Order: sequence, then structure tokens, then C-alpha cells
Amino acid sequence: MKILYFAHVAKALGRREDDLYVPAPITADDLWERLLALRPGLAPYRASIHLARNGEYADAAGEFSNGDEVALIPPVSGG
Amino acid sequence: MWMEILFLDTALPPPPSAPESVRGRAGAWAEFHGCVRAAERGEKIAALRYDIYEVMARRMVTTHLETLEKKHGLIAARFWHRGGIVPVGEAAVYAAIAAPHRREAFAALAELMDLLKTDVPIWKAEVVPA
Repeated sequence: MKILYFAHVAKALGRREDDLYVPAPITADDLWERLLALRPGLAPYRASIHLARNGEYADAAGEFSNGDEVALIPPVSGG
Repeated sequence: MWMEILFLDTALPPPPSAPESVRGRAGAWAEFHGCVRAAERGEKIAALRYDIYEVMARRMVTTHLETLEKKHGLIAARFWHRGGIVPVGEAAVYAAIAAPHRREAFAALAELMDLLKTDVPIWKAEVVPA
């Protein structure tokens, strides 16, 4: 799956995306475990980030699959 | 409802007037320009840098406008947001709403801007003077 980073999170990681392979659909908790292993620099932001799947906020019970585009959404500040 | 949502990485152009299709039906065409101030939280800045997740932002603004259409009977809406560097004094956002009466147009415009700051994936960061 494609992982997208934005704003100060992208700046802190020094990158705007990652590709992550998962053998089977995983929960949000499992996804976070893999993300934090891949990018430990995400740890300070986890509590403030919402996950979006394919352009929509993901609900807590949702699962994430290889074909998904997953965006990490920190608190927004448009306008 | 007539709707136009644009994300631009250049200065926002002078907006056109209300779309032809709403003339005669809209009693109000309310407009808002959101501009970059010279200071944020008491600190002088040179610009704001905007980052936009466009696919999702477009979907969410559409959803919010459809909700406001049901609530206020909107006839048309235009929403432009600039990405990248926006210097002090320039507009980062332009929104306009057509409704049968001014109260609905003003209310919907204010609510749209509040919703924008609630969950639409757009972020700003201060750029300090060199």
C-alpha cells in the first residue's frame, strides 16, 4: 500500500511517501505497529494523526490492504 | 447546485462574478477572501506554506457543500485554495456562495470556513523572513 505523509510530519521524516507490503489485510493498530517500525520518527505524532484510506477518514474498525492509499492526517489548518 | 472547487499553486486570479446559471435565482452572492497576515501568534512572518491532499480535500469540501446546500438551500458555490508559498498580503483562499437570500449565503459561507478548519486535509506553516 502507498503511505502518504503531509505537512510537519513529512518535514520531520524528510519524505512524502512510502510503499508498504502487507501479506493480508491488517487493522489500524497493526498498521501503526508496522509504520512505527519503518519510521520511528512518527512516534511523537501518532496521538494526533488520523488515518485516511483512499481519500476518506478511516473508522476504527476498518482494515487496510495492499491496494489502498493510506494518508496520515495530522491536525488540519487550512484557510 | 452548481459547484467549482479548485486548488492552485499560483496566485489566485481575480474571481469572476456569479455563474450565469444562477442569475435571476440568487438574491445573494457572498464572497470571502482569506489573506495572509504579516504576523502569526505575535511573530513576524514572510509567508505561509500550504500543503494540500487534493483528492481528499476536494471530496470533503464537496461533502460539506452538499450538507450546506440541504441546510441553507444553496444555489451555487465556488471554492479556491492556493497551495505552496503564499506571501503576506495575498489570498490563500477564496469562497463564494449563492443563495436565495443574504442570511443563508452569509451563514453558509461562515460555516464552510469553519468546516474547512475542522477536517479538510489542508495545512499551513509559517515561513519566517530571511
